[in-house]
Amino acid sequence: MDIEKKQFTCVICPIGCEIEVQLQDSDVVSIEGNKCAKGKEFVLQELQEPMRVLTTTIRIEGAKWAMLPVRTDKAIPKRLLFRAIKELQGIELNAPVQMSDVIITDIAGADANIVATRNMKRENKGKSV
Amino acid sequence: MEADVTVIGSGPAGLVAALHAYESGAKNVLLLEREEELGGILKQCIHNGFGLEQFKTDYTGPEYAERLIEEIEKTNVRCFLNTMVIALSADRTVTAVNPDSGVFKVKSKSVVLAMGCRERPRGGINIPGTRPAGVYTAGVAQKFVNIDGYLPGKEIVILGSGDIGLIMARRLTLEGAQVKGVYEIMDYPGGLKRNIVQCLNDFNIPLHLSHTITEIRGNERVEGVVVSSVDDKMQPIGGSEQFIACDTLLLSVGLIPENELSKGAGIKLSPTTNGPITTETMETAMPGIFSCGNVSTVFDLVDYVAETGMTAGRNAARFATARKTERNSVEVIPGKNVRVLFPQRYSFKNDLVLFIRPAKPIERPVSIDISPLDMHFKRLYARPNEMIRVKVPKDRLKDITEPIEVNITER
Repeated sequence: MDIEKKQFTCVICPIGCEIEVQLQDSDVVSIEGNKCAKGKEFVLQELQEPMRVLTTTIRIEGAKWAMLPVRTDKAIPKRLLFRAIKELQGIELNAPVQMSDVIITDIAGADANIVATRNMKRENKGKSV
Repeated sequence: MEADVTVIGSGPAGLVAALHAYESGAKNVLLLEREEELGGILKQCIHNGFGLEQFKTDYTGPEYAERLIEEIEKTNVRCFLNTMVIALSADRTVTAVNPDSGVFKVKSKSVVLAMGCRERPRGGINIPGTRPAGVYTAGVAQKFVNIDGYLPGKEIVILGSGDIGLIMARRLTLEGAQVKGVYEIMDYPGGLKRNIVQCLNDFNIPLHLSHTITEIRGNERVEGVVVSSVDDKMQPIGGSEQFIACDTLLLSVGLIPENELSKGAGIKLSPTTNGPITTETMETAMPGIFSCGNVSTVFDLVDYVAETGMTAGRNAARFATARKTERNSVEVIPGKNVRVLFPQRYSFKNDLVLFIRPAKPIERPVSIDISPLDMHFKRLYARPNEMIRVKVPKDRLKDITEPIEVNITER
């Protein structure tokens, strides 16, 4: 059986190791180019199911800004990113929110939570400037 | 008003500088910020990838900022928000203005410049065509989407492959816009490889190298752009023009250190970094005025920005108490294959941490050679879009009398 080669760029850290994987009958024969163990982990995960952290925003009322930045608390399958975004549309939050507050549990059925990535205080509207 | 250390700007460089000035013994530290909250541009950089080297944690921009702000709040650093510094003088007097105090002056024993950089606008690259609505820099679009909650458009073309442009390609795609392509005039990408992968490739957004935009069309609103391929001298090739319909053009075509205050104070700038010429202590040519982060030179990573902030803060505190400058210094010179080198001088006080941007991509093993020392750092490749950081220990440099030269050679 022929050896199949696949190239990956690891996105775990800014070094961005270029990693070459050799496969035989879908079995990994060799992994080369990674500077650390995380690179190997990344490639094995990419072959199976690419995972990404989702960062986005949710509309918030009563805060200084219109949008609250949020993230998934762990990587979710890449194929579920758009489904997760869709589930977040139409959600309206109210300030105050604390960083790390869980906004939504089990987003897109991916067993990850959406958490706030900053504090947003309640602002009194109509304050004199 | 008086201060031991005054820090101008509260992005990552300024926050870290203020923190370390305080921790190094400066009692009266002042942090001046023109926006209405601390954190600078980190607040709109909602993506992750911050602090991996510094904290070994994958923070988003706001989380990274919050972590530093929490540290600042534990100190008695005085933070002035909505405060615009309008002048700086060589005797370290800072003139600022805010709604509470009007115009006021701060006499400071030392000053840290941490004003960051700004985006090169359309006028900076002279794209011909009409002047319709819908042309934004990538960072402005980022603020629209992430802070204000508006999409800048639905069909997007991005000129330039800097990191903010790549990040926005992904962000706009997730928010339902169609990103038709990223066009880069150079024959290599401007941003980090990982951002090409996770922002473009993940979403099948095409990257066209050796291409530029030669015309913007549309009256009220952008209706499209004409793209052309360029030759090896970056000149558009006649006959290669192609019209791409779009309603929005984002520009990610470079960042410029924001040095109006530095120039006003008479601080000498480097023509290659466009920031103040500094030593490894981050002291500028003006005694007691230090400079760090993207106002010094545009860094790729917040971790590097923070590292220079730490050095600047510590040394600014030291100057404020000891009032001593390392006057003895040698030049640090970019040699072969080096386009940007920071810092530009070495004053025998700290280890020499060098930040190097290669002149051109070398996709083969290279050696970073530090002469006159017999010191060589090996790397697997050298790329202009990935700044190289090397550290030369202080004890190796103590007997140096001539300029230090940095060369990149193929191994």
